[in-house]
Amino acid sequence: MKNARVFFTKDGACKYISHLDTNRVMLRAIGKSRLDIWHTEGFHQHAYITFALPLSLGFASTCESMDFRLLDDNADMSAIPEMLNACLPAGIRVQRCVEPKYKPADIDSAAYAVAIEPMNAHDISLEELYTKLNDFLNQSAIIVEKKTKKGKKQVDLTEYILDCSTDFDENILLTLRLPAGSTLNINPSLLIGAFAEYCGVELHSDMTRTGIFTKEGKPFE
Amino acid sequence: MYPKEIEKYLLKVQKPGRYVGGELGEVIKDKHDVDVRFAFCFPDTYEIGMSHLGIKILYSLFNEKPYIWCERVFAPWIDMEAEMRAHDIPLYALESGDPLTDFDFIGFTLQYELSFTNILNMLSLGGIPVLSRDRHDLNHIVVAGGPCACNPEPITDFIDIFFLGDGEEVDLEVIELYRECKRDGKSRAEFLRLAAQIPGVYVPSLYDVSYNDDGTIKSVIPRDGAPEKVEKRVIMDMDSCYYPDNFVLPNIEIVHDRAVMEIFRGCIRGCRFCQAGFLYRPVREKSIDRINEECHALCRNTGYDEVSLSSLSSSDYTQVVPMLKKLNSWAKPEQVSLSLPSLRVDGFSDDILDEIKTVRKSGLTFAPEAGSQRLRDAINKNVFEDELINTCRVAFEGGYTTVKLYFMIGLPTETMDDVAAIADLGKKVLDTYYSVENRPKGKSPRVTLSASSFVPKPFTPFQWEPQDTMDTLREKQQHIKASIASKKISVSKVTYNYHDTDTSFLEAVFARGDRKLNKAMLLAHQRGMRFDSWSDCFSLQNWLDVFAECGIDPAFYANRRRDFDETLPWDHLDYGITKDFLKRECERAYASQTSPNCREGCMNCGMKKYGGGVCYEKR
Ligand code: SF4
Repeated sequence: MKNARVFFTKDGACKYISHLDTNRVMLRAIGKSRLDIWHTEGFHQHAYITFALPLSLGFASTCESMDFRLLDDNADMSAIPEMLNACLPAGIRVQRCVEPKYKPADIDSAAYAVAIEPMNAHDISLEELYTKLNDFLNQSAIIVEKKTKKGKKQVDLTEYILDCSTDFDENILLTLRLPAGSTLNINPSLLIGAFAEYCGVELHSDMTRTGIFTKEGKPFE
Repeated sequence: MYPKEIEKYLLKVQKPGRYVGGELGEVIKDKHDVDVRFAFCFPDTYEIGMSHLGIKILYSLFNEKPYIWCERVFAPWIDMEAEMRAHDIPLYALESGDPLTDFDFIGFTLQYELSFTNILNMLSLGGIPVLSRDRHDLNHIVVAGGPCACNPEPITDFIDIFFLGDGEEVDLEVIELYRECKRDGKSRAEFLRLAAQIPGVYVPSLYDVSYNDDGTIKSVIPRDGAPEKVEKRVIMDMDSCYYPDNFVLPNIEIVHDRAVMEIFRGCIRGCRFCQAGFLYRPVREKSIDRINEECHALCRNTGYDEVSLSSLSSSDYTQVVPMLKKLNSWAKPEQVSLSLPSLRVDGFSDDILDEIKTVRKSGLTFAPEAGSQRLRDAINKNVFEDELINTCRVAFEGGYTTVKLYFMIGLPTETMDDVAAIADLGKKVLDTYYSVENRPKGKSPRVTLSASSFVPKPFTPFQWEPQDTMDTLREKQQHIKASIASKKISVSKVTYNYHDTDTSFLEAVFARGDRKLNKAMLLAHQRGMRFDSWSDCFSLQNWLDVFAECGIDPAFYANRRRDFDETLPWDHLDYGITKDFLKRECERAYASQTSPNCREGCMNCGMKKYGGGVCYEKR
């Protein structure tokens, strides 16, 4: 048996597949591809797969990963992306299959690209929105309410923003790095929600997760 | 591909995955390469529509033809509808994202009467005029098929063409005719007139209906050479009938997400309340080899690890155990589990249990339909109490602990004693559990009694019967509850569910309605009514208001006893079943007399004329 990790992208219609449904889609693809992987034992036997970091509904991603165990020690990993892609919807594409280098617990942060526009174009011009975005980010504190297991909690997002930059040519683009992983996870929607409140207009944001990193700042491999 | 502009709204609605397509197995073509674009509309949510076998069959069949592109359309849930209406986004097909107005055909499947308002709503959301008479050019042909097409009279103002019976052949013939008419520059009227000449095609606008003073039908007169009686289509050779070897695989959870293999059409039983049992006669089986081949291909192509062997009564397949054994020769090693839905009480043997319980052991469901033997005889549900008890014993010995029993209340000839017998039967099943020596240890048994209200349907022996009034039905429900209490059955071990009498009443109105109901349908639509089969949206009061405003008495349709010689709204449609047979069966019901099933003895229902199937099996 050997451990395998596939990296895949999620885009287009597949942005709207929830984490739970992604799991289902992957299991079905593995069944269909006849990839020989380890199954859980017991009454409800099923192929055993795990995901390093769940992705929120509506997010695209260039860096998702899924782990499983190949039963055949000599299995050719390079053939796996093609096998799975033939069995997956077009919006999910497996890029490569490798032996895992890090554990999911090593994950410490994730990077996002967020394209922002007003929900209704006549509410605010893009120029004005861009100015507001920079003003918003330059505040000394950004207080939001974060839901935790213990209830609601006030947090200052500026303490958590690891990297942040803005850009504007045709669209407004916010590039971010935020804490991620099982201990502390900050969803970029929190920041966008706070920004929408700050400008008082309804916003539409198109989110893409672009990278997942370890404590040492290395890409999660 | 969904239209780009909806992206903004998708995260504001529940389950956005319903609206984006992009599934594995969807068929994408270049619209310039096809002659006919067909929007296959299911008048309910994505999760329900995607679970439906008929749409899977026809979707693949149409798309096999290079000149047709068939796409899927589902009814948007109310949150999405609100966004679409607010932002002028027309209803679109999932494959291309194009609005309904880009399609030649807009086809609906009619699975239940309470989805009728969704049809109007989907047309209007798609920018298609809801009334047939407001559609003029040779495009936007609105067609419909499925079981409710057997009495489509309440929606004849909205639908141009109904398909009667098996759709696989007639649908393609009509599409082909359209293609020719389009090429020859014919008019819409000409096309409809020609279509009416194809067997199985009912063009309602070519029939004039007149009424007697008491509101019953006086006559139905065809025009322009349309046939006096439209006869359903039947495919006799199931082995040569098209069956898909792949399904569109949903990205989100749907109601039934598994492979489905159709093993035969029709039903030998003749339960007198069951419309499907008569509409789809005669029984025509697929051969084991064909089932085996198609089923294996389907499981391989889809990757599903569960396959449902579907029919109206799967254990009636003549060679059911050899079939299961053959399938299991690959299914077991490939970890695919087989399931037999709609299993009859008497069709449940150790042999079958051995073949289907291999992987999963879910609860069992049976439908005795009535509590007493007397009433079961009257409805011709040939199930005996000792069979049910024996079957439950086998199941309990096999490790099952939950049994769900389905009943109907309001059946013709039913008395309060028959109603109380439902609780008795629940008690007996529970007692059986405790009498089994090697019953599963440490688990508590659970018996669920579920009672729905009987709705008399066309083309059944009960088509002339009144439905019980809502008050009577409620009384009967209370009586079951009271009977359970008096039997001292622990409530935690026996649950009792009952279905809404209000929706059954509306269903009864439309099931046997006539053309006068079109007016009510239109008004209901204009008042924003839809999703009547969903408790979130259904309001009986709204419907009563609509009927009152249209001068319609719904009880005329639901609660009136018809004379045997009354002209019924569907008398010009021919499903092969003769009225004479239905009359005989109705009289036998009054005498609590059963009839043999097709394999025990032929009752001459009229299906012999199709020249095959069970009618010609050696007995
Ligand atoms: S004609 Fe006889 S055998 Fe054939 S379907 Fe009718 S009752 Fe059954």
